[in-house]
Amino acid sequence: MIARPIYAVLEREVVRMLRQKTRLVSAMVRPLIWLFVIGTGFGTVIGESRGIPYQTFLVPGVIGMTMLFGAMLAALTTVYDKESGVMRMMIIAPLPHFWIVIAKVLSAALAAVLQALLLMILLALLGYIGAKTDFVLLAVALVFTSLACAGIGMLTASFTRTLDNFAAIMNFVIFPVFFLSGSLYPVQDLPEVLRWVATINPYTYGVDLLKHATSNAGLIATDFSRWTDIAVLVGFTLAAIAISSWRFSRETAYEPMIHVLTGKRS
Amino acid sequence: MIATAISDAAAPAAISAAGLVKRYGSTTAVDGLDLQIPAGQFFGLLGPNGSGKTTTIHMLATLVKPTEGRVRIGDIDVSQHPVQARRQIGLVFQESALDRTLTVRENLRFAGRLYNLSPATSEQRSAQLLELFDMADRRDKPVATLSGGMRRALDIVRGVLHEPRVLFLDEPTIGLDLPNRRRIWRFIEHLRARTGMTVLLTTHYLEEAYPCDRVCFIRKGKLVDEGQPQSLVAKLGRHILEVEANDLDALRSQLEPDLGDCLVDGDIAFFRYADEDLSTLTRMQTETARLTSAWRVRRPNLNDVFMWISAGKELNS
Repeated sequence: MIARPIYAVLEREVVRMLRQKTRLVSAMVRPLIWLFVIGTGFGTVIGESRGIPYQTFLVPGVIGMTMLFGAMLAALTTVYDKESGVMRMMIIAPLPHFWIVIAKVLSAALAAVLQALLLMILLALLGYIGAKTDFVLLAVALVFTSLACAGIGMLTASFTRTLDNFAAIMNFVIFPVFFLSGSLYPVQDLPEVLRWVATINPYTYGVDLLKHATSNAGLIATDFSRWTDIAVLVGFTLAAIAISSWRFSRETAYEPMIHVLTGKRS
Repeated sequence: MIATAISDAAAPAAISAAGLVKRYGSTTAVDGLDLQIPAGQFFGLLGPNGSGKTTTIHMLATLVKPTEGRVRIGDIDVSQHPVQARRQIGLVFQESALDRTLTVRENLRFAGRLYNLSPATSEQRSAQLLELFDMADRRDKPVATLSGGMRRALDIVRGVLHEPRVLFLDEPTIGLDLPNRRRIWRFIEHLRARTGMTVLLTTHYLEEAYPCDRVCFIRKGKLVDEGQPQSLVAKLGRHILEVEANDLDALRSQLEPDLGDCLVDGDIAFFRYADEDLSTLTRMQTETARLTSAWRVRRPNLNDVFMWISAGKELNS
């Protein structure tokens, strides 16, 4: 019964993603800049770290970055939707309103997975994804990391009224989540406070799982066990969905949303 | 209040509301409203701005929780089973409920899927409905490129795609020109004839409410009067006299003793006149000729009912 409405939301997301070419291109260019510019730049300063070039260390981090940005931006469109016709269509549809949140999380995660796959094709062609990659674990990492990133985006969206302060979201959510993870450096090498922050950042576990999957037989040091990574990602995603659904149901049932949608109350 | 529940005792009510109240902090938007709308009826909910029409529709359509009172759509309690209730209703908001970035076809397929319709069913129904609006050739156009009238038409197609038993239309023709408004009314008429759906309408264009089986006027969230449009109009009397004058006070002191209270709008005074025979009015016209700049006698219409109710005056004299 619920499968068809969810499919509708997923299909809309994919259609929109393919139509917004610039969104797709920048989703590819951003991680490649990090890999080739930052990776090369810091690589010359750092040299080899624990026996591998810095660029190699960065590969799981930039795959994670694509998912983080892809999922966050897709989930944040919920804030636009709240003021637009799409949300009007969805809140009068015969489904409990928490399904709208779940469908949006799933569609944001789907967008992120597709972007990550596209990026990995490019990376494979450039020789950055080796034959020793654990593809089953990689698939698991893509799915759960995307879901967790979509969860971060949905939580942000459910506490945000407008995207006017998008710069603030960028500065106070997306950048800290990215920088305070293991994307750019091993978590265990960080000073204590930063290590503590990285440990409570759910995205850290996504990157760690990606390191497990792409680590070329243990070349890249990982910070946690793969089961810890999966458990934290799943747990966080469920919690994020629960909190966002609770916020969203309150908004739809107790007025603010309908007033935003219709612009008046009389 | 008036003959409500009795009107169609045999047919089950499609929409019923009892003791409906909505308070926002210290403001009361809807204040103890009772409605019984039989299946198949074309019902108009009318009233001035801020009278509580939209809040009422939102409560009936499960989108706003009533502070007090109960709503049923058919035999479904809306507060207890909002999802089942939403399956039975279609809703056209004042503002469009469409995705501007998608095409007409994509929008309707999206809407259909939300109602668990298969793509084939959506496709077939939307083809028929778009045909009625002469929009079959627009199916692959993005919604953003449609004219206001077409977008509104598409909104209505979207609202009835799942064949609801009850259709809520909140100011469906607002901002549209006359040909587009007529087109939309022909469409609604056609749908009603074909499916027998119950339609609840709010509108500011009162001539559009004239075809309603029954209208209900609300003011400050309370029901003021209801009935067939013709019988409400008849309550005002046989004629309305409109008089323009520079010194309205002088005019009123001359006419009000005979004609009763008037309604003033700018420099025009509106009087009700119950008799068919106009000879008294003609005599009054000559007596006040030096005060007046225009003197018009005409039949009353729903706009007059609306004005009288908005001014807080009783219709029965």
